[in-house]
Amino acid sequence: MQRDWLTDFKDQCERNLRRSIPDRMRYGFNYVYKPVLDDADWRVFDSMEEYRKWCQEKLPPYLGYGKTDAVQSRARNET
Amino acid sequence: MRRETFNPAQAQEVAAAFARHNVDYMFIGKSAAILLGYPGTTQDVAVFPSKTPENGRQIVTALRELGFEIDDRLEIEIIKGKDFVQIKNGPFDIDLVFAPDGIEHYDEAKTRMDTSSGFPVLNIRDIIASKTGSEAGSRSS
Repeated sequence: MQRDWLTDFKDQCERNLRRSIPDRMRYGFNYVYKPVLDDADWRVFDSMEEYRKWCQEKLPPYLGYGKTDAVQSRARNET
Repeated sequence: MRRETFNPAQAQEVAAAFARHNVDYMFIGKSAAILLGYPGTTQDVAVFPSKTPENGRQIVTALRELGFEIDDRLEIEIIKGKDFVQIKNGPFDIDLVFAPDGIEHYDEAKTRMDTSSGFPVLNIRDIIASKTGSEAGSRSS
């Protein structure tokens, strides 16, 4: 039987909270090349709104910088 | 540009360099949530610095010490405290979020700062507020 995804997420949170801070960094920070996003030395935006617009217009949707989808909204509302 | 090397202890490096140069800041975003125990991943460190020219100058000095190439134009933007500065030409990626969504005042947010990880981290409720504050558009890392 498939477990509820929210239960799984809570279990993941509890396991991660038991990790040391160095382990949280070790497993939490990793590098994956992101096209477009990583293809400049630096960028400056006059507002977060401008940044969001740039993400929406320039970044491939699969990078996950677009609008929040229904599953993500549900996770936020239920936790 | 693709990176050849990557060190996951980047938050530690930022914290050490910022401490040496008395930068007033808190970790924010997913990197902050990870330090607090969120089971996610990210490649960059995001910080919410106090927006003063002096703090900006200290940030520039600290970032140069870490190996970031801060040219004159970027230095000016950081000292000005532009709302969002994304830097990718150093040993890792760093976002300077001078005006995060959902947070009115730096000093007020700092009174709720979480130091349980040993790092200055924005309170989890403020991290969530900064994320949900950007819901009208997209998410940042």
